[in-house]
Amino acid sequence: MKKSLGYKMMVFMSNRMMACDEASFLLSYRQDNRLGFKQWWQLKMHLLSCHLCRKYAIQIEELGDTMKEYRVVSHTESCAHHLSSEANNRIQHVVSKELNAK
Amino acid sequence: MPEKEKHTLKPHHWVDRYGDYLFNFAIVRVNDANRAEDLVQETFLAGLKAKDNFQGKSSERTWLISILKRKIIDTYRKKYSSRESSMADYEQDISDGDFYRSEGPFKGHWLDGMGPHSKSFLPEGEIEQVELAAIIRQCIEYLPPNLASVFVMKMVDEAESDEICKELGITSSNLWVMLHRARLKMRKCLEVKWMN
Repeated sequence: MKKSLGYKMMVFMSNRMMACDEASFLLSYRQDNRLGFKQWWQLKMHLLSCHLCRKYAIQIEELGDTMKEYRVVSHTESCAHHLSSEANNRIQHVVSKELNAK
Repeated sequence: MPEKEKHTLKPHHWVDRYGDYLFNFAIVRVNDANRAEDLVQETFLAGLKAKDNFQGKSSERTWLISILKRKIIDTYRKKYSSRESSMADYEQDISDGDFYRSEGPFKGHWLDGMGPHSKSFLPEGEIEQVELAAIIRQCIEYLPPNLASVFVMKMVDEAESDEICKELGITSSNLWVMLHRARLKMRKCLEVKWMN
């Protein structure tokens, strides 16, 4: 099958550019680290041409914000989980036994 | 004369007062109710053993949580040592066949449907915090255990990277790759959950 010139050009370009796996890794990596100039530049070039990774960049930030909210919620006491009464009794029993042993 | 009121320990009330609180703290981090119950029990017993070391500087609850935290890190560590040693090598590799094309001219590009759909994975409008928390908890549950430990230590407990590496015995490049993989999966999971 003959490939169109446009397809060949896309393959040519994609072989020379950073791929999405590396770009998305760097988007995550830069949350905690500084990128070197070369990495920064290649990432920038990749983002110019890749709409998926541009969205990924935004969503990575969003994930950070969401986890921040989650931290607040999960630190409050009004959480969804309770010890089952069975577990509560069992633990109470073990602790009392240990206390009385002293 | 006591100038400032010192905190004291009242172990008889521990289970009633802090049982649920510790259980919540644990289950968010280990995602296993049985394991979380065991951790709560171990924490109380360790607390009883160490109660002479309690100096009354922090509240009873804070003190118990600090014991629980140690116990949780120990479970993470156990999960690690039970895995094959090849785990570390595998985690060096950023390419993940579930998300990116592993061959062909566009090797390394997003697989169809595995990249983001839109700019936000959250639905439009207000979201109930409780609902959001429930979904996040579910998505953390879906993570493979080693990625979940790293993700929770970093994103929920806000531990320093050096500390995570030290506690889990991994290199910093392992850590960044694992965090990347965890974020890939979390993002995808959150997007799918809200679309349904």
